[in-house]
Amino acid sequence: MLAYHQKSFLIVDDFSDFRSSVRSMLRELGVKDVDTADTGEQALRMCAQKRYDFILQDYHLGDGKKNGQQVLEDLMTDKLISHESVFLMVTAESSQAMVLSALEHEPDAYLTKPFNRSGLAQRLERLQQRKNLLKPILEALDHGKPVEVLNACIALCKQDPRYSPLCLRYRADALRDMNQNEALERLYNTILADRPLPWAYVGLGRLLFKRGQVGQAKEVYEKALKLFPMMPALYDGLAEVLVVEGDAKRAQHVLEEAVRLSPLAVRRQALLGKLAMGNEDFETASKAYRQAVSQGAQSRFKDPESNLGLAHALISKGSEKGLDTRTRLEINSTLSAVAKENPADPGLQIRARLMKATSLLLNDAETAEKLTEQAMLRLDGMEQFMSPEAALLVAKQLQMLGQASAGASMLKNCAEIYGDDPKVMQGIAKLTDDPTILNTSNAAADLNRQGVRSYKAGTLGEARDLFRRALAMQPKNISIALNMAQSLLHGADASADPALLEECRASLKMVGLMPDSDPRYPRYQKLRSKAFGE
Amino acid sequence: MNESEQGLDFSTVIASTVHDMKNSLTLLMQAQAQWLARLPEPERNTSEQGVIDFEFAHLNGMLVQLLGLYKLGANQLPLRPDYHELDDFIEAQLASHQDVFKSRGIAASYDVDPLSPLGFFDRELIASVLANSINNAIRYARHALLISVHDEAGQTVLTINDDGDGYPQQMIERQDDYVQGINHSSGSTGLGLYFAGRIAELHQRNGIRGRTRISNGGPLGGGVFSLYLP
Repeated sequence: MLAYHQKSFLIVDDFSDFRSSVRSMLRELGVKDVDTADTGEQALRMCAQKRYDFILQDYHLGDGKKNGQQVLEDLMTDKLISHESVFLMVTAESSQAMVLSALEHEPDAYLTKPFNRSGLAQRLERLQQRKNLLKPILEALDHGKPVEVLNACIALCKQDPRYSPLCLRYRADALRDMNQNEALERLYNTILADRPLPWAYVGLGRLLFKRGQVGQAKEVYEKALKLFPMMPALYDGLAEVLVVEGDAKRAQHVLEEAVRLSPLAVRRQALLGKLAMGNEDFETASKAYRQAVSQGAQSRFKDPESNLGLAHALISKGSEKGLDTRTRLEINSTLSAVAKENPADPGLQIRARLMKATSLLLNDAETAEKLTEQAMLRLDGMEQFMSPEAALLVAKQLQMLGQASAGASMLKNCAEIYGDDPKVMQGIAKLTDDPTILNTSNAAADLNRQGVRSYKAGTLGEARDLFRRALAMQPKNISIALNMAQSLLHGADASADPALLEECRASLKMVGLMPDSDPRYPRYQKLRSKAFGE
Repeated sequence: MNESEQGLDFSTVIASTVHDMKNSLTLLMQAQAQWLARLPEPERNTSEQGVIDFEFAHLNGMLVQLLGLYKLGANQLPLRPDYHELDDFIEAQLASHQDVFKSRGIAASYDVDPLSPLGFFDRELIASVLANSINNAIRYARHALLISVHDEAGQTVLTINDDGDGYPQQMIERQDDYVQGINHSSGSTGLGLYFAGRIAELHQRNGIRGRTRISNGGPLGGGVFSLYLP
């Protein structure tokens, strides 16, 4: 029997009748320590204060409120819940909640309403038994040590091989965290050869994609979707593959499918908005971004990019006829939120103003001009780099707003920072045919390529020299600066020669202004911590 | 693009209505349980109580099945199979019917082979099938109900046995018609067989599909419902 009097419980439900009923069931079982919460926000605050052994979380907490899935995600991401605690998702209809759940954050069990005291007691008892069985694994998870997780799994499977299937997921996640890609691929294939486990398909697809085996990842997703057409995560994976393959149209359709199954997903809606925008499907884009914005209000994945995207989609949708009042109001409120909520981010301040100015171009030229001026002032003093997408849009809008020279300097800057990326250069070419901008990066990019070749060949001195010359031409170029820093840190002489270390730090300082959404940002952080000994 | 606002789609209506109905049922059952707890002992175990408990469970089973059937028709029934501990799974189903067993004086038990303690299936879906078949067995059982699990050529076989009069011979002979949805004439049992068959079929392994079987006899001598999961 479970020692109920020693366990702490949290009941989260917006129905007070339900809370009191479950509370009395628990009391009848001998539970002394029961707390209740009526919203997810309150539950999160309570979990930050106290460790609960059991959480009974209702899935639907009312419209416009965090749902049970979001609460679980927040609890796990913020480490407010131990892996040894039992999290029960209480629902009236579990299959729907399961479709909507994120694969990474699954509750220990679903408890379907209605349930009686014996039903509740049975679940609690059994879940506690399972936690006890898996205790060494769960402890290792709490410590964040995948090697220990793996060892605990091996020990458990040896002790009682009958239960080894219960360890599969823990083993796979541990191998993933340890970057043991070959072993992980073997494990996934072994699992799938025996049983079609949905999470194993998703895991295998992601692994193959990560390693650049895009075609194989696609095969895995397509095969899995035949078996599990109701798994949104598989659509997400397939869409990711299609984007890389350059098939943005089909990627959009696939994501629309995932959104139909599971509309409550901020990041999925935002990505759909972005894809539809690229496909010039402004209707879908505005719908998706609108969802991303409104759902984002309760979510940790709130992102001002969705507000800007929504405004951009609405403007693009109505460009011929001008914008109606309702659309202008929506643009105004979504952009005001960006400006208000990000006072310290000059890039967002500029982009929100230019976006609004663009929306007013036809109807209120005077305000548009004023906003453009404000944006230009801030642009002058801004050091941070914008992402290439943002920079190109800003340049385009500056051109539309009659600021051709500011637009050109934005493009020039962008060519310097991102000039080694042919996709960015294509985007720039759409906005200008000025050869000084279009060709400015060629020479440096060429030197950079030669430098990479020398670096790989092991001629470190030559590589450094090439990177140095490239960087002198384009000191803001992220790739070159990172290559420079890496080549300087690579040799044994870096720590011995303070001048080399200083040079390395200087090149990193400059590109430290890159947006943290840049895919190279983790690499920058790694180099930075090496160079600055942090 | 065709983004004109569509009207309410039927699946949303059903899902949200069933959701509300189940919440009502939940509150009803809870209020009833609390009220019952305050009654003196002799007044708790009346035959009316037996009817209330059974019909609550029956109503709930039908709601789940209704939604399940709709989703099957619309190809919206999600399948998410995983490994589950069989004793835990069966215990949970029996526990949720505990009140009915008690008020009807039925002794319910289960039997799982300790050498193969895990099964591979979608817990929610198989639970709804099991809940319905337990309900059905309760209706006909006299004193006893037994759920047993065994392994048959690599397949997990769940059987629900009762000590009632068993299925009518005609129903056993024509069970495939029920499963294929050709014959719905026998009311909830027939519809239940159809639902169970469809859920079983969703479970496949190497080309072998799950299936159901009804027969008479078994260890308790009454009706036997078997669910084969590959």
